[in-house]
Amino acid sequence: MMPKQLITLTVNGQEREIAVEPHWTLLETVREALNLTGSKEGCGTGDCGACTMTVDGRIVTSCLMLAPQANGRQVTTIEGLQSNGSLDPVQQAFIDTGGLQCGYCIPGMIVAARNLIDTNPSPTLDQIREGLGGNLCRCTGYAKIYEAVELAAERIREGA
Amino acid sequence: MAQETRVRESTGADANGHTAVGRRVTRLDGAAKVTGKTVYADDMKMPGMLHASVLYAPHAHARIKSLDTTRARAVPGVFAVITAADLPDYNRNDSNRTGLIFPDKEVLFYGQPVAAVLSEDPHVAEAAVEMIEAAFERLPEVLDAVAAMEKDSPLVRDPLHDVDRSEERGHVSVETKETEQEGEPSNIASSAPFERGDVAAGFAEADIVIDRTWRSAMVHQSYIEPHSTIADYDISGELRVWTSTQAPFHIRNELAQAFGLPENRIRVTATEVGGGFGGKIYLTELMVAALAIAVQRPVKYIMSRKDDMLAATPAPFAHIELKTGMKRDGTLTALQARLIYDSGAFPGAPMLPGCMLIGGYYRCDNIDIKGYEVLTNKVSVGALRAPGAHNATFAIESNMDLMANELGLDPLEVRLKNAVAEGDPMPNGQIYPAIGLRECLEAIADSDVWRRRRDVEAMPNRGIGLAVGGWLGGLQPASAIVCLNPDGTINVTVGSADITGTNTSFQQITAEVLNLPLDMVNVETGDTKTAPYAGMSAGSKTVYTVGRAVKAAAEDLRQQMFELAMKRLEVEPEDMEVANCQVQVKGAPDRAMTFKRFGRLSTNFGAPFPVIVGRGTISARKSAPGFTAQAAEVEVDPETGDVTLHGYAIAQDAGFAINPLSVEGQMQGGASQGIGIALWEEMQYDEHGRLLNPNLLDYRLPTSRDLPPIETIIVEVPSEEGPYGARIVGEPSIVAGAATIGNAIDNATGARVDEVPITPERLIRSMDKL
Repeated sequence: MMPKQLITLTVNGQEREIAVEPHWTLLETVREALNLTGSKEGCGTGDCGACTMTVDGRIVTSCLMLAPQANGRQVTTIEGLQSNGSLDPVQQAFIDTGGLQCGYCIPGMIVAARNLIDTNPSPTLDQIREGLGGNLCRCTGYAKIYEAVELAAERIREGA
Repeated sequence: MAQETRVRESTGADANGHTAVGRRVTRLDGAAKVTGKTVYADDMKMPGMLHASVLYAPHAHARIKSLDTTRARAVPGVFAVITAADLPDYNRNDSNRTGLIFPDKEVLFYGQPVAAVLSEDPHVAEAAVEMIEAAFERLPEVLDAVAAMEKDSPLVRDPLHDVDRSEERGHVSVETKETEQEGEPSNIASSAPFERGDVAAGFAEADIVIDRTWRSAMVHQSYIEPHSTIADYDISGELRVWTSTQAPFHIRNELAQAFGLPENRIRVTATEVGGGFGGKIYLTELMVAALAIAVQRPVKYIMSRKDDMLAATPAPFAHIELKTGMKRDGTLTALQARLIYDSGAFPGAPMLPGCMLIGGYYRCDNIDIKGYEVLTNKVSVGALRAPGAHNATFAIESNMDLMANELGLDPLEVRLKNAVAEGDPMPNGQIYPAIGLRECLEAIADSDVWRRRRDVEAMPNRGIGLAVGGWLGGLQPASAIVCLNPDGTINVTVGSADITGTNTSFQQITAEVLNLPLDMVNVETGDTKTAPYAGMSAGSKTVYTVGRAVKAAAEDLRQQMFELAMKRLEVEPEDMEVANCQVQVKGAPDRAMTFKRFGRLSTNFGAPFPVIVGRGTISARKSAPGFTAQAAEVEVDPETGDVTLHGYAIAQDAGFAINPLSVEGQMQGGASQGIGIALWEEMQYDEHGRLLNPNLLDYRLPTSRDLPPIETIIVEVPSEEGPYGARIVGEPSIVAGAATIGNAIDNATGARVDEVPITPERLIRSMDKL
């Protein structure tokens, strides 16, 4: 085993000091060291998007980012989306439209969808299709995911 | 935009008299999944757990000369290195993929597991695998299934014996005379003939005969969660397995046979399945259980994406020769087919359902169909959503369009004219029950996509295509238990893995029978020690069979409450009903006992009633085949061969959609997989049988950029036995995509590509531009 190094991550608003081996990915660190297992590894090569998190507000495939690269930065995972005991409007919309089946891609998909709406509050269908292009879903054919994002954006605009 | 998705809270009946079934209901597991709380096998840790990493064969066919693990064992942190020589005793059967953990003499495909390293640190295990010194002597690789059938072909492997086909039977029930490998050594694992009438006479009658060969690539299920398994064994003989599977009871039975353990000492928990599509039945569990038995510690094995692409059970390549004849009026006169399915190094290719479907969509007096399951030195295949069906359907539905085009007939009309209906024979002589193929064709005619046909055809490089698909479905007995809690709420326990939202459908069925609001009913999938038996969640049969058992169990519970209430309500059970969370006298709802009161009176100290537990068990002998018709609008770039999908529609017969929201989800998901097969997905091997694209970048799945919203039309032709008329739903949706897209491309370009996926290169070649 390689010597560990100490890094500081702010994960879902909470500052955490973690000893990591230098080759650990951000995904592995969050799942194994912090026991936040919502983010998934579907491929380990940045192709599927199941591990999507935001780092300093930008989307990353956390299976490709080494933990030391995230040192000192703000990380948001699926566990950070609900607040005050209620679901994020994006989470609720995925339930309401049937935008989820097996669920494995969903944590990454929802983090990506929330980020999309944060940067573009009124995305068109084409913008949604483009914006989620890095997140593979094998179950839904995406149709109900598009509906979920449209519904969530609408509810967020209306202040729901 | 977003449709109404919540079931209304009141228990008042709708127009069909239903209160809970037939409504759009959100999933029971929705909140857990959107918050990341759902626990998949990879999210679990056991005390003392070791991680396994596997050495995969680097050749498609080779003799193992030596396997030296000395250096690997010496790596700090390695707990054990296990080869065939180190495995515990098990009932080995080299004829089945799942009967053989590690080979000791010969490897039969690139990626076959050869040995495993165990460590508390997965990185150490992975690194130590590289330190195993394995020497191989290469043997001739047999890679082409058609050439492998020749008498002088080298042999893929030693002869087969005692082939276990129980997994295949879980997907589809086909009665036929199948011949297993016999006589002279050969690479043909099995074959089956289906004959009716006189094809020579049929072709003589025809005004047009089309004779073509259609090929469809090996494709991967590509669930986003790779195979994931944990096993633990204690010295008293208890084996526990947590695994991402569609088939916990099947695994229990297989492990019991493999290790000579009684079935009551094996506890298989189907963890949440992160996508299965037929590919997660039984694969890694035997190896992981054997490793756990060998080291007496919990062992976890998570396939990397590469492992999964190399060594899981993808869907087969097929080569299908199809000759069909049609009269000028559109009558199909003869159908002759030779279907060759590439099974890889072990038997298991879905040749039978392919044969049944190629001759199963249209009435035809003269058929001659021969199916072959052929071995090659490639990874062995398994099920992918209606296994074998898309290959055969690509062939027949392409031929149908070619004949219609030649005769100047409308492709929809030709299909309607010949489509099978109740009472028509299948290729094996079985008679169709009530089915909805014609109704699906009529429905697709009304889709937005098909109705734009004339306008689209007037545009350059654009076209619209149509095809049908179907699946016969599996059958297996099922059971369920429904319990009344002290507070009047209901728990349902089933043994079926919930891969498509079936537990939500069971919630609806139970709420319907007991006339309760949905939130009074909860549903749990138990493990093989705590749940009543269920067949594998495959063959589209879970709602069709387990749903019937749930309905019977809820009815049993209701009847028990009626009988217990006789004394207090002073009427016979037939004069009682359930409504408003109570058992009440018909016409006198104030004479009633609430569910809560029943709950207390059957559970409290000194309570007068016995505990109220409903039991439902069923056998299933009548299939309820499901059909679909699909339409696509495509645009082809004539310079590059790129295909853009502008619209896609699917009509499918669900019998009765217990939950239209999830039925639509199944239709859209399966259709998208069919589109992937049509345009992008292909496992590519080099000339030595090595997989070239074992990742999700080079193995190209449909993305949101590729797929427009898929239009759905639910057709309902009730089945005879399914709950409320429901029939099979999950699988038919994948079947028609390859042919639908191929027909649309022909409509756009006049070019016919005889192989899926229809890559830009293949399309440009068909357009004679290369």
